[in-house]
Amino acid sequence: LKILVLTNLYPPTVLGGYEIACHNVANAMRQRGHDVEVLTTWSHLPDPRPEPWAHRDLDAHWYLPYTSSDGRLAESEFHKAVCSSYRNTLMVLNYLRSILPDIVYVWNTTGIGTAAILDLLNMVGVPWVLHLMDRTPVDVVANVEAGILGLFGASGSSLYRSAGVISMSEHLLTEIEELGGITFPGATIIPGGADTSNIAAHENYLRGGKARFVASAVSAEKGTDLIIEAAVKLKLTGADFLIDIFGPGELPRYIDIVRNRGLEGQVRFLGPVAQRYLLEQYPSYDVFLFPTWDREPFGFAPIEAAACGTPPIMSRNCGASERLVDLVHCIKIDRTVGDLLDAMQSVCSAQIDLSAMGRRAKRLVLADLSFNAMLDRIEATLTQRIAPWSGPMDVNDSSLSLLAYLKHNLSIMLRFG
Amino acid sequence: MKNPMRAKGKKSVGSPIKLRIAHVTPTYFSPGSVVGGGERYVFNLAQALQAAGAMEQCVLALGPEDALFEQGGVPIRVMRNESKWSGATDAYSSKMRVELEGFDIIHIHQCLTTFGAYTTAILRDLDIPLIGTDLGGGENTLMMKGGGLRLLSGMLSISKFARDLVAPYFGGPHQVLIGPVDSEYFSPNNIKREKDHVICVGRILPHKGLDTVVSALPSSLRLTIAGRIYDEDYYKLLTKMAIGKSVTFVTDAGDADLLQLYRTATVLVQASTSIDIYGRFVAKSELMGLAALEALSCGLPVILARTGSLPELVPEGTCGRVFSTIEELRDLLKDVDGGKWPPIGASEAARTAVLDRHSTDVIGRQLLEFYDIVSRGGLSS
Repeated sequence: LKILVLTNLYPPTVLGGYEIACHNVANAMRQRGHDVEVLTTWSHLPDPRPEPWAHRDLDAHWYLPYTSSDGRLAESEFHKAVCSSYRNTLMVLNYLRSILPDIVYVWNTTGIGTAAILDLLNMVGVPWVLHLMDRTPVDVVANVEAGILGLFGASGSSLYRSAGVISMSEHLLTEIEELGGITFPGATIIPGGADTSNIAAHENYLRGGKARFVASAVSAEKGTDLIIEAAVKLKLTGADFLIDIFGPGELPRYIDIVRNRGLEGQVRFLGPVAQRYLLEQYPSYDVFLFPTWDREPFGFAPIEAAACGTPPIMSRNCGASERLVDLVHCIKIDRTVGDLLDAMQSVCSAQIDLSAMGRRAKRLVLADLSFNAMLDRIEATLTQRIAPWSGPMDVNDSSLSLLAYLKHNLSIMLRFG
Repeated sequence: MKNPMRAKGKKSVGSPIKLRIAHVTPTYFSPGSVVGGGERYVFNLAQALQAAGAMEQCVLALGPEDALFEQGGVPIRVMRNESKWSGATDAYSSKMRVELEGFDIIHIHQCLTTFGAYTTAILRDLDIPLIGTDLGGGENTLMMKGGGLRLLSGMLSISKFARDLVAPYFGGPHQVLIGPVDSEYFSPNNIKREKDHVICVGRILPHKGLDTVVSALPSSLRLTIAGRIYDEDYYKLLTKMAIGKSVTFVTDAGDADLLQLYRTATVLVQASTSIDIYGRFVAKSELMGLAALEALSCGLPVILARTGSLPELVPEGTCGRVFSTIEELRDLLKDVDGGKWPPIGASEAARTAVLDRHSTDVIGRQLLEFYDIVSRGGLSS
């Protein structure tokens, strides 16, 4: 397949799992023999291994550039991010004309002018697939008024009428429907997959009677505060445990909290590390902690830990929770300190057969949630969408750039006067 | 599902043309919307097409709330205006696109406005030919210098003057049709004309140049100014200027009153100007001059300023004269006063000119031909 991948960010510039997954999938598809070109934004970070197929010709209007506190300026920039950035729309048009892809594979577009770009894909009728790992469609409808959405054929779900849609969870689709009123009736659920190659055997559980917990993110959303509060109470029970928390974040503040709560011996912050390193470390831990927020579209980390035989304690409502069975592959909790504490206590007191749960979790991921399994499904979905371009306008119609110009400028005029 | 907007028009015998035509316009001709020249034009045009045998047509306009009704046998679909701005030509509806799928021709009236730009943007990829007409409502930069007009498949201009204004921005098929005027209603009768009676018909606004007519009026002629007051200060100025002269203002004239004036006066003067009495420049003073056409249709000769499209209405001198300065107007009115003009036969010439070039039948037929050519991709630039 000749695939044009569209994404706002691309390594080395990443915000989270969305961009990493995009990169991993794009590279893996190339390795499977597909002709993949990636169109993304500039990167201010040095790229140690630049990929010639990654074209950094788009402007970024979100996340990376400094956002002025002047509300008008910020709104203008955000308009370009979620609605229309004429330069980016033109650039996408140029790439469509020069590459003539079989399919456009759209990842996160927040920051590059979502509505105008997707409208362009609809106008030229190129087959396209949207891979949802976050609520990008909500960003559009929540931040652009109806009349302007209408300019881009983006009222309701109409922007996605001709797209194939992949979502990593039902949870994410439900969230998008609830918050944005957008439905994707034919969406394919493809959960995030873990790289299961070269995974070491799991070490013995509860070695020396000590429970070893691990988490891979530092933020209130990912549950760091809950973990600390639960640890305070767990310590009071006399349990022997250790919690290692990897990842960047507000480390000074959390280290201070840990010190003040008297947890220096139980909770450690180990900073950001490479994903591969984490996968090497997981087999030495008993349980992965993932008391994440309800907004979690999926959560790669607990799946990766499960692949290593380290079962997760995870929020019942997150996307990844859809794939694992409570008390079979994981321990599901409501997102409260009490629930988390109970689950951690059951681990410390050996009430859970972690060895059996770890084996089952590993088998599940290897069979169903591996990166290769994910890739097989993506490949099948993309292939299924291939069809002759069938838009109302030919991609080489010279009036396309003029129409995009008119829509872009009208959107500015209607929004800002 | 059948589009509820579509109603069958009168089928003319043997007509091979069966186009489905949608007129989109920010406002429609009604006291509930706007009673203005642009709105009357769309109404007249739809009537002309009905007469010519357009099989299906509708008018899609915007308003405070959704509505569907018929006007002169043509369905009018009103869609809720989504614009936050109050100006009529700033109106738009994002839902219009859905209503217009399936038509053969979409005619965008007031195409040089925000309404026109928005409508063009959302309809362009429907693969339906779009035809634009400027009715004087705006000069949207995006449509002109920004190139938006090039997205249209054709332009219909209501005068050569109107055509010349947009010609630099549009190189595609372009038709000039002056009219239609309802020549059946606006027709002469046998009432004897009042030889000393001069009339002006139009809104009381500075760019209509009514002050020039009052100034040039000889004391022996009577002047009736029929039109609604749109500028109170200007109206007061006119009333002061009229002291000592025989000038009557009729500010609530309906069509029947106008018809009576057209049938009984001896000449209509239209003195529109591009620089008004206050020194202000008016870009599109007269794109067509419907009042002059209605007068001619009633057999009433006209004296017209050399402004905008007005000279185009009287290519021959028999039924109309053109002036550039107040002195020239004064001389022409002296000729009227002295019985030197209009000449014998001027009334018949006026009527014939309208029937030949501007009547409902003629315009309807020519417009339908133009639609047909554009819908077939003809007359390419």
